[in-house]
Amino acid sequence: MNPWIHIPQLLAAGITMGAIYALVALGFVIIVRASQILNFAQGEFVMLGGVVTFFFITGAGLPYPLAALAAVLAVIVIGFLLHLLVVYPLRKASVLILIMATVGASIVISNTSALLFGTLPKALPPFSGDLPLELGGIRIVPQNLWVLGATFLLFFVLYFLSHRTLVGKAMEASSTDPLGADLSGIARNFMVFLAFGVSAGVGAIAGVLVTPIFYTSYNAGTLLGLKGFIAAVVGGWGKNSGAVLGGFVLGVVESTSIAFIPAGYKDAVAFVVLLLILYFRPKGILGSPYIDSRRW
Amino acid sequence: MVKKYNKGSRIEYRKRDILFTAGLWLVSLILPDPHLPYRREFIKKRDFFYVGALLLLPLILSGPLVYLMVLAGIYAIVALGLSLFLGYAGQISLGHAAFFGIGAYTTAILTTRYAVSPLEAFGASALAAAVCAYLIGKPILKLKGYFLALATLGFGEIFLVMVRESRSLTGGVSGIFGVPWFSVAGFAFDTSLKQYYLVWGVLIALVLFAKNLVRSKMGRTLLAVAASEDAAASVGINVAQVKVRVFVLSAAFAGLAGSLFACVLSTANPQGFGLGLSVLVVMMVIMGGMGNLYGPIFAAIFLTWLTDVLGGFQEYSLPIYGVILILLLIFFPDGVGTRLNERLIYLISYWGRKRRRERVDI
Repeated sequence: MNPWIHIPQLLAAGITMGAIYALVALGFVIIVRASQILNFAQGEFVMLGGVVTFFFITGAGLPYPLAALAAVLAVIVIGFLLHLLVVYPLRKASVLILIMATVGASIVISNTSALLFGTLPKALPPFSGDLPLELGGIRIVPQNLWVLGATFLLFFVLYFLSHRTLVGKAMEASSTDPLGADLSGIARNFMVFLAFGVSAGVGAIAGVLVTPIFYTSYNAGTLLGLKGFIAAVVGGWGKNSGAVLGGFVLGVVESTSIAFIPAGYKDAVAFVVLLLILYFRPKGILGSPYIDSRRW
Repeated sequence: MVKKYNKGSRIEYRKRDILFTAGLWLVSLILPDPHLPYRREFIKKRDFFYVGALLLLPLILSGPLVYLMVLAGIYAIVALGLSLFLGYAGQISLGHAAFFGIGAYTTAILTTRYAVSPLEAFGASALAAAVCAYLIGKPILKLKGYFLALATLGFGEIFLVMVRESRSLTGGVSGIFGVPWFSVAGFAFDTSLKQYYLVWGVLIALVLFAKNLVRSKMGRTLLAVAASEDAAASVGINVAQVKVRVFVLSAAFAGLAGSLFACVLSTANPQGFGLGLSVLVVMMVIMGGMGNLYGPIFAAIFLTWLTDVLGGFQEYSLPIYGVILILLLIFFPDGVGTRLNERLIYLISYWGRKRRRERVDI
């Protein structure tokens, strides 16, 4: 059987997956731009976005758009709480301690959500029907277009926030030069606090968009978070554009790999890509402002 | 006067001599090195106390607790190896569960498919883990911080996927059953009491090895690398090589522990070797204190006991476990023992100063 005949369809699926990875990666980048902290619980925000929306629709009986909005707000509050309860007390701790603390937070969030909302996978109805569109022999579900559109919209909104507003510039300053930021009167801890909220919001929006395509269960967040981080590294660590590009590259590579290797190995592909990029071009495709090309 | 040895004369070796030397070298790894200064400090009084307590502990403990101590000992071996890599050399690894798994699967496959004796499989496990660590460590150990953590984590995930998918070799998700008990020369360690003495005996030997290593040139080099890689390189230390060596060594420890794990549970399946185990082992090292060999062992006993107790809470166990993890990190980021010791020393010295002050005042 010729594997190449499936390539166009797999490309379409890969681009959708890539958009989701890009959204998760953007969440990482927002926090990194403000504080050089890596939030291992980022994937849990995505999971919560889907699961909490499901809960608001079935449990509280809210209409779909309102439920999605309420879920995003709820997840933003959880992001604020994560900063206040876990990251803020550890602001002077070493990298290792922060990694372990955010891993601990992700264990708490995912298992608490299993307790509250059950362990069954959740599925939401698509935004605009599930009749696939035919485009040159490729079938595309309308939800995929929603995901793509939302990714680019969020990318431009975040670009505007970080490059054209005072808050965004203050956030970036508090990461690149902490002492200088302090001297010019920037409340650095507040900036990190805000960054956690924005990042949680972006994650939750990704979760709402993803749940109609894939089933979201309580333990889906970990792997999604890891792949989002890989996307951010592949594209260029700490760059919004890098996160989006890395997401698409990772999604396409992972999806087209199905044509050539057994589907069970799909999850390993992302990590192989990570090891390759860390070895041959550690600063990512677009380069990174935070990583010296020589050593870091 | 004794005639000086003539340098030009040819020395005849016999095979036996080489074997004898190799044996001596192996023993010297465990025994304290007589040429080191501060020889008296190598084994302190508290070590005799610890060993005595270990020997007598099964008399007090009931059956399930002995089994728990067997598991704790196995995790302590991994934690000890990781302590060298994480506590002494200052690197981060979230992938040690993979080396543990490689050890367990090597033993399981060799003993069930190829009828290799468990003792040989024990050695082969360490070798397999060390070879994997060398191959993976060579490229990724130039990374630092978050990136090293992520790369090792990625290796762990790849290992899990490989184990799940190569069903003909590893039995897929259900794993391999019927691994024989560990046995040496016909003596099988078939009860948990015997396994207790086996595991903790191996651990004591490894602790002595690690203590020797830490006090050797290699150990000082590790501390230098942890303090500053640039400074270490400037005094002529091959930083990359040192990191790879200590990574390989800690992976070999994890491989040994994995082999014991497979023999004790008589099974190897991928559920036990995920990110959860890596996090648990890193927590043991953090709780025990960085740059400390005894701390991780105590932390291993404590955390194994904790996970067992929390298992009784059914579905609440994991959230509580996560909360305890975060609280421990927030309140004891330098390890429970270290922080308490510091406070205790501070209090005692404060008390001493107070008495001296009062005496001066009078």
